[in-house]
Amino acid sequence: MSQAAVSADRSADPVETRWVDLARAGDENAFAALVRQYQDQLYRVAVRMTGDPQDAQDTVQEAFLQAWQHLPGFHGEARFSTWITRILINRCHNAHRASRPTDPLPEAEAAGMPSTPAAETLAVAAHRRDAVRQALLSLPIDQRAPLVLSTFSGYTHAETGRILGLSESATKVRAHRARRALATALQEWR
Amino acid sequence: MSGDRLPCGVLLDDLLAQVAEGTAPRDAAHQRTCPHCRAALAELEDLWAPVRELAAEDVRAPAGLLQAVMAQIRDLSRNNWSAVMSDPTGQTRIAARVVGAVARLAAESVPHVTLALGGGRVATPTGTAADPALVAGTSGEAATDIGIAGNHVVVDVQIAVDLGAPIQQVAAAVRDRITRHIAEQTGLVTTQVNVTVVDVRPPPGRTRMPGR
Repeated sequence: MSQAAVSADRSADPVETRWVDLARAGDENAFAALVRQYQDQLYRVAVRMTGDPQDAQDTVQEAFLQAWQHLPGFHGEARFSTWITRILINRCHNAHRASRPTDPLPEAEAAGMPSTPAAETLAVAAHRRDAVRQALLSLPIDQRAPLVLSTFSGYTHAETGRILGLSESATKVRAHRARRALATALQEWR
Repeated sequence: MSGDRLPCGVLLDDLLAQVAEGTAPRDAAHQRTCPHCRAALAELEDLWAPVRELAAEDVRAPAGLLQAVMAQIRDLSRNNWSAVMSDPTGQTRIAARVVGAVARLAAESVPHVTLALGGGRVATPTGTAADPALVAGTSGEAATDIGIAGNHVVVDVQIAVDLGAPIQQVAAAVRDRITRHIAEQTGLVTTQVNVTVVDVRPPPGRTRMPGR
């Protein structure tokens, strides 16, 4: 489990609580400390959710901005990291809904393309990771989110559940289904 | 991959959970000897290896992300942020631009002072009366920069002073009046008023200095 997830499971850090209080009162330096603390963790989630570094950066920026604007309404019901990750996931959902569907290939070209990438290409380690990225993006977003949080970002199932507004057991079920779907996609591409 | 059982009766899903999450096998003794389980585990380990590699990648936020976020926040603070005052019956929010308008009107009410809007323009040309709509409107915002945190305010203001007027005393009067007007009209606490004198201008009734 990552350091981030370990810290997410601890009770609220008093230094972080102080930063949140100061930021809520409008202290930009305190908010900058929170951004510094969580930017890597959130970017890691965003890049796996969106599959694109620029989209990930934009989404993380928007999440922090939204958090800053809504801090007066945040009274520590959850950890700051839980709250901001929830904002980020919601933004990923919204971006996903707003994105245009990929233009289909012309039929003549599509007919000549293999339905899955060639096995020999994916045999190269770097390409195998690309295959995982693509397989991840092919998952429905309600499966991708628990998998990204638990497998790729080190959150526990309990923390993932708090972020997604699900019970721990429901989170486990979704993560399990997502894992199975990912494994199926990877198996088809080998 | 299906959720099927192996010929030995073990669920493939259980093996996937074992590989992906590191959970303990349900029957370790069986697994050690069962060729079906060992083959399936080897297959799943190979399948899941690139997932582990991807998850282990050292992903860090781009170098400029913090600066980009804070620049946007500072921009928000300057333009849209509000002072918030709470009492048991509710909250009062006062937009920063309102505080800026109060500060500009206060500064303009000090004798020998005109707001400097930037680019060499002044809010009230020599010999004319101040137009409150102009001073308090958006065109006057360049003359002030307002920082708000909770109920505390910091004001930066740019002014032009009539030639011959004692600049230090005029600046002190501007500070005092802005602080007082903001307290009286908004209830906010002004912690700093930074006055920048960017120009002098001929006092009313005199022509502009030669060469200017």
